[in-house]
Amino acid sequence: MRALSTGVAILGAFLLQSALGWLLPAYARFLDPFLVVVVSCALAGGESHGMLAAAAAGWVQDAHFGGRVIGLAGLSKLLIAYGVGWAGARFQLSEAGPRSLVLAGSTLLDALVLGAFASVFDVTLSPLPFWGHLLRALANAALGVAVYRLIESRRRPR
Amino acid sequence: MIARAVETRRSRLLLGFLLLLHLVIISRQVDGGGGGSLLERVVFAALSPLQTAVAWSGRTVRDSWNRYVNLRRVQQENQILTARLRESQLLLQERSERAGEAERLRDLLELRQGLPLETLVAEVVARDGVPFYRTLSINKGKRDGVALNAPVLSATGVVGRVIRLGPQVAQVQLLLDRESGLGVRIERSRVAGVVLGQVGFADASADSPDRDASGDLIMKYVPALADVVPEDVVVTSGLDRIYPKGLMVGRVRSVSRGAGLFKEILVTPSAGFDRLEVVMVVRQTPEPEIFEEAVR
Repeated sequence: MRALSTGVAILGAFLLQSALGWLLPAYARFLDPFLVVVVSCALAGGESHGMLAAAAAGWVQDAHFGGRVIGLAGLSKLLIAYGVGWAGARFQLSEAGPRSLVLAGSTLLDALVLGAFASVFDVTLSPLPFWGHLLRALANAALGVAVYRLIESRRRPR
Repeated sequence: MIARAVETRRSRLLLGFLLLLHLVIISRQVDGGGGGSLLERVVFAALSPLQTAVAWSGRTVRDSWNRYVNLRRVQQENQILTARLRESQLLLQERSERAGEAERLRDLLELRQGLPLETLVAEVVARDGVPFYRTLSINKGKRDGVALNAPVLSATGVVGRVIRLGPQVAQVQLLLDRESGLGVRIERSRVAGVVLGQVGFADASADSPDRDASGDLIMKYVPALADVVPEDVVVTSGLDRIYPKGLMVGRVRSVSRGAGLFKEILVTPSAGFDRLEVVMVVRQTPEPEIFEEAVR
């Protein structure tokens, strides 16, 4: 069930990213729905779940939206998922505030790790200004909180 | 608490596995710039020194082994070749010996066929037992028909005569012996004389005109006015009734005026006494007239 929901989430992220690319190509890069899914899975299901989700999401993202090298996004998301899962097991991060903070921080950290790996593997990334990173972090945090609330609202008994 | 620890360990293992998987997959796609993926390049760069060391060690061991094997092989070949060389040297020496022997025998045979004498071939078995005499022993004796005073010849000249007889051996007095003597003649001028051995004692040549001529014979009783010059051929005269007439004795080496009415003439023997191995013993001397006719 968890795997299925994760798959559906990844599929939704894929569809959203695709839609943004079609609808708002200039702003699509300021949102990373796959990272939102990964962080959500890590927070909800722990490190292992988060890492498996990160691997799958990263592969899908790289395969359809990434560059010539497949696996960089998955690699960075893998570390993010582990860190978030580790932190989620030790801290109370289920509320909106901490969750958004984790999402924002994860987005920044993901960009940092991705850039580092890109340089290691001699992959050139398109430069993104600092405000772009901030905007991206805020966008992901907002999306994450929104999705989380949506999920939580559907889980609550009426 | 335990479940949490297990979960942590499992997650770390999963992290490691997934990290490695991603690294492998990424590296497979990244061109390392050296004709291979980055992983290949990294692994190659990381492991190449070890590989080089292993290759060097292997090469060293192999080279050492090859050197050892080659050394052993070379040593074996060396032993074999050394043995073959010794065999070849022995064979060559034997062949050379046989060739020399064959040549000497051929010369003897030619001489034997050319001489109207009944001769017997004998091998030298001993020589110069004591320093005071010049003798040698041959392997033919009385049983073979050798007689006392029988002339002994070589392919190149007169050797001496038999002075002692045994059943199967005989002792030959060389011309070099101080007590030896034979009647000779200068072949060119027909001047007669007597050749004596002058080798024997250390002071044997004290009264000799040429003190360095200890290996020579001395020809005596040649008149001072006789026609004798160096390089004249000296042959037996047959007047001593021992040696047949006309056999080669040697060549005049030097001629000088001796004391009194005679010349002193040194004759270099032609028999090569130091190299004698096979000789001919004359069994029966023909009549002087017949022999002289045959030699002529």
